[in-house]
Amino acid sequence: MASLKELKERIGSVISTRQVTSAMKMVSAAKLRKAQQLILRARPYSDELNLFLNSLASRNRRQLHPLLHEIDDDEVKNVGLIVVTADKGLCGAFNMNIINRAEDYLQHHKDKNVDLICVGKKGFDYFRRLNMKIEAYYVELFNKLKFEHSIDIMHLVTDKFVSRKYDKVLIVYNEFKSAIQQNIVLKQLLPIIGLKEDKDERLAAYLFEPSPEEVLDELIKEHLDVQIWRVLLESSSAEQGARMVAMDAATDNADEMINDLTLEYHHLRQSKITTEIIEVCSGAEGLQ
Amino acid sequence: MANNSQLIHLKIVTPRGIFLEDDVSELVAPGKDGDFGVLIGHTPFISSVRPGILKIFKNDKPELYSLMNGFVMVDVDMVRIFTEIIERPDDIDLKRAERAKERAEKRLLEKREDTDLRRAEAALKRSIARIQISEAGFH
Repeated sequence: MASLKELKERIGSVISTRQVTSAMKMVSAAKLRKAQQLILRARPYSDELNLFLNSLASRNRRQLHPLLHEIDDDEVKNVGLIVVTADKGLCGAFNMNIINRAEDYLQHHKDKNVDLICVGKKGFDYFRRLNMKIEAYYVELFNKLKFEHSIDIMHLVTDKFVSRKYDKVLIVYNEFKSAIQQNIVLKQLLPIIGLKEDKDERLAAYLFEPSPEEVLDELIKEHLDVQIWRVLLESSSAEQGARMVAMDAATDNADEMINDLTLEYHHLRQSKITTEIIEVCSGAEGLQ
Repeated sequence: MANNSQLIHLKIVTPRGIFLEDDVSELVAPGKDGDFGVLIGHTPFISSVRPGILKIFKNDKPELYSLMNGFVMVDVDMVRIFTEIIERPDDIDLKRAERAKERAEKRLLEKREDTDLRRAEAALKRSIARIQISEAGFH
């Protein structure tokens, strides 16, 4: 059985851990709010852009644009897989879920050459430890997300795609469902799919400078930028949500532990006092 | 006093939110094929943008912004600009822009195999636009 002093020290250390976890929980809550605001602010831009893109792509023959050019699945040989994890741990299964999903994809597509692009330190560290080939990595970016990050990633994958080094680009990330729920999503980034046919004649009245093709080209790139930006924001919101839940549970556990340990401490202290009293009493009796 | 019907409604939308929404009398934007000015009653058109200076006239006083990319959608009485990066002259760090310009020029000159020429070129254009606007802003 532990001594009184040992117990006291343990209680002290659990209390200070509890302080850290409960502070982290509150910090995550604040960061979550901030990240969600960014998502909201990106919405008008991405909504308008989408409308615009659908309508313009429907008017043009889409097969003409390289980024819209789809190929058959059995012809796909080289895949770029963007793995979005967090930079930090202490957020439950958040990072492991993504890594498992990526591993799962690698397992099932051994016939293809899959290049990894790691966003977030945790995924990068994991795959580097396994000595896997990592095409590119972006770490320590979630603390201060900048739009430039998504532009960088977009440039990298479009260059590879246009030069035919990749036939397909996928992205795997945690989608923010609610503060307590994340969805793991594997989405195709390139070639762009899911454009809606839009026969809206709104754009018919416009002239295009320099040409509809060039505007479409620009539009597609910005669309990709925004897609990646949204993924980064989603993942960052989801991370904060996951951390909030994990830290909440940790704080609860710490509370429980403190209770148990304090009880044990009192128990021990009481039995020690009792023993001492008995000793004193029997000593006094011996004198009589 | 400018008549209200003479004003164009300008809206600048970025992924970080609506950057600016205002009524202006005239604007000059850096189109891909050269700068163009827009007054009320312009033919509807859509133009993509190259890195450069966006000039907005309100009460004959121009306001300058640096525009990096995006496009301008012109309607008869309304202009919408979609851009990823737009900056006010005050937000631009001239020294940093100059360093970026030097870096990009060096990269373009060296032409090492692993340099991405397109990106270096884009960086160069961006830094030049930033320097231009920052200098124009001081005069």
